[in-house]
Amino acid sequence: MTSDNNIELHIPSIMGFEKIAMECSASVAKKMGFTQDRIEDLKTAVAEACLNAIEHGNKMDTNTKVGITLTVEESKLQVSVKDQGKGIDQILTPSIENKVGGKENPRGWGIFLIKSLMNEVSFEPSPEGGNIIKMIIYLEK
Amino acid sequence: MNKEIQVSISQKDDVSILNIQGDVTAISGETIEEAYQKVNTNGAKKILLYFDKDGYINSGGIAILIGIASESRKNEQKIRITGLSAHFQKIFNMVGLTKYTEIFPTEELALKDF
Repeated sequence: MTSDNNIELHIPSIMGFEKIAMECSASVAKKMGFTQDRIEDLKTAVAEACLNAIEHGNKMDTNTKVGITLTVEESKLQVSVKDQGKGIDQILTPSIENKVGGKENPRGWGIFLIKSLMNEVSFEPSPEGGNIIKMIIYLEK
Repeated sequence: MNKEIQVSISQKDDVSILNIQGDVTAISGETIEEAYQKVNTNGAKKILLYFDKDGYINSGGIAILIGIASESRKNEQKIRITGLSAHFQKIFNMVGLTKYTEIFPTEELALKDF
């Protein structure tokens, strides 16, 4: 814990460790009172953001880390995922038809899923280098 | 860190069932692909993918399933899915996998009139 409403964790750039961030986010969301449906949405979004950071940001370099910051507010939870990479060149909208038809790589669903499942998503460069994806999910009452 | 995957193959009448236990990711995908190739080699035309309700599926795993959907079209196979949690049913709908496969709530319903 870094302050009253912030939780930080760092995971190595190794596939599978995204589940640590996923479970931590789920625990926080549960404590805040999110419904199970929304917790599942959050878990997928956090896992995908971490996977992007591990694979595309940090290029699976085991000397690098992925930083996750959870910021708890009364009506929302913000999750920031930071890598140490150079950024994503272009974010294409995936097409299932093109992927099944062999015209597109079947991968590339991460950002699509994050945007579909979270209330707000933004991308920005980190002042210390690397990139940050910020995701916000609102608590519905 | 990921739950190790186990894929077993069984047969019910003319339907080949791939029972997928564990996490479906880019890493574990090879095991699913191998099982698919096995039933494909045996001439399967109807394939049921039976997922673990508690399993974790990520975008890497979805890509593996898209690969199978793609191959099944070429091989004129029908693919049905069961065992998915409500969340992953929603995810499969979102990405459009349901245009190429059908999702059923139970194995019994999936096998009916396949």
